[in-house]
Amino acid sequence: MIELEGIKKVFRMGSQSLEALKGVSLKIERGEFISIMGPSGSGKSTLMNIIGCLDTPTEGEYVLDSDRVAGLSFDQLAAVRNRKIGFVFQNFNLLPYATAWENVELPLLFDGKNARKRKERVTELLKAIGLYDWREHRPSELSGGQQQRIALARALANDPPILLADEPTGNLDSRSGEEIMDILTELWKEGRTIVMVTHNDRISAHSQRIVRLFDGLVLP
Amino acid sequence: MIGIFFRNLVRDLIRQPLRTSLTLSGVVWGTFSVVLLIAFGDSVGKAQIKRFHGMGQGIVLMFPSRTTLPWQGFLKGKPVRVTPEMVEEIPDKVPGIEVISPEFVGSRLISYGRKEFRNTVRGVNPGFERMRNTIAEKGRFINPEDMAGRKRVCMIGDVLAADLFGSGEVIGQTIFIDSVPFTIVGVMLKKSQNSNYNGQRDERCAFIPWTTFSTLYGYKYVSNFIFRPLDLGRSKAVTEDIKKHLSKLLGFNPADPDAIFTWDTMDFEKQFTTFFLAFTVFLGVIGSFTLLVGGVGVASIMRVVVEERTREIGIKLAVGARRRTILWQFFSESLMIMLLGGLVGFGLSAGALQAVKAFPTGSFVEFIGMPVLNPLVIVSTVLILLVIGVVAGMLPARTAASTDPIAALRK
Repeated sequence: MIELEGIKKVFRMGSQSLEALKGVSLKIERGEFISIMGPSGSGKSTLMNIIGCLDTPTEGEYVLDSDRVAGLSFDQLAAVRNRKIGFVFQNFNLLPYATAWENVELPLLFDGKNARKRKERVTELLKAIGLYDWREHRPSELSGGQQQRIALARALANDPPILLADEPTGNLDSRSGEEIMDILTELWKEGRTIVMVTHNDRISAHSQRIVRLFDGLVLP
Repeated sequence: MIGIFFRNLVRDLIRQPLRTSLTLSGVVWGTFSVVLLIAFGDSVGKAQIKRFHGMGQGIVLMFPSRTTLPWQGFLKGKPVRVTPEMVEEIPDKVPGIEVISPEFVGSRLISYGRKEFRNTVRGVNPGFERMRNTIAEKGRFINPEDMAGRKRVCMIGDVLAADLFGSGEVIGQTIFIDSVPFTIVGVMLKKSQNSNYNGQRDERCAFIPWTTFSTLYGYKYVSNFIFRPLDLGRSKAVTEDIKKHLSKLLGFNPADPDAIFTWDTMDFEKQFTTFFLAFTVFLGVIGSFTLLVGGVGVASIMRVVVEERTREIGIKLAVGARRRTILWQFFSESLMIMLLGGLVGFGLSAGALQAVKAFPTGSFVEFIGMPVLNPLVIVSTVLILLVIGVVAGMLPARTAASTDPIAALRK
């Protein structure tokens, strides 16, 4: 499903270069729930960005659903992000001026779905997370837990097989955090692949497998 | 999407009212200047052409002069003398002439009662009227009967009529030209005239039959003659044919450039038209620069907006927006600002042109004409607006579209 082979990522800043990933190989099967853990600077975020097709590796092979990601253009990557991958961020990353409804609708718009399909899908998702009555509210009028649920609904809009969650509970109180983890677990049980970055052991306990990164390499 | 788009736009515009109004005012003022300058240039050009037509339309003036080349034993400097009879015979010898008239010109004392003026008297034939646009407003121009009978009748210019009679009746009155009584048979329709030759403008002239003129004053040779070719495009060829014909008749070198001085008003009109087109383009360019400054304002404001919304762009890219979606979003936003400003500018300039219309008319209109929002003005302004809008919109939009999603999300 997700196959990384010898992934290296080098960032160049003027004359200096920083090797964030030094040859990561990782295989994630369909329907797996894995946590990526490691101290800051270990390359977790870089790895997530590469898996999420926001960034491309300097070296190495990345095969997603038997497609080689390295050969795709920016817009092809955009289509992959739109349909195959859902993102959940620590700080939610909702559009502040758009309503809950519009935030959830965004990926559907970029996929070119018609108004009727969008309406059906957004209604379904908002009802599923129990925020249908909050659909006209802006993110600033919602609690952190509610915002993260909206972000989850957005991530699920195009029914992607993979969910990438970057510290999804990092900005939440423990109760809201548990709620989010319950939803993620539920989604995993439905058959989705979930890749989560965290450094909270209690959160990573929800996953099947833990991959530890240190200094740009996977610890055995 | 459209809903979100307009809400974004309105939000961006309203959130910073000062910034918005400054940006818009640049575009509004730019559009206003482009419209007014082009409309002004266009109307001045048209007014001048109209005034030029006041002297005549599609005519060639020929002034017999002196030879400048020796010919068949004669030294250069021999006067070329053309009689009115020769002139009126030309159409029988040279094809392609619609109408021709000889012209005598003299400065004469014209009096009525105690009023006395020294004005220009022109001795011509009836064809003169349509060539030189000396149309009778009241009464008539001189006719063939006047010519044949060498009658002492005249048509006078509108200004001369006002000078002599004020607002009183003119037709049928008798005036004295150098103490000889003449009956007024017509008054010329007021016209605008910016070109002239020999003597005063037509508004102050008296027009009499050339037969009368030569009999009274003993003139034998015309001061000039005027013709209009059947085909206006052949004026050059016909002029050459007339020169050739006269050179045989009078004995001068047909290649002599100055034996008969020629004023082809069609040449002049072409130059005139070109000049005023260039003038209008020049004004348009000046206006465009003003609008360009407005466009630069829009581009720089949009750059700030892009900067402010980097995070939004990052989020959109992360959930699957393509670069061109982002490009289009910001491009259309800039274009909307341009068009909004353009619309207001158009409205203001239309209002200004209406206000000009309400102005007391008179010599102002004669020289400047009446600037209006005609298709030329509208089309050129819209084109300039679009070109500047596209450039001003494209630059920040490209910046927006090339945002790095990772860096944007980290903000």
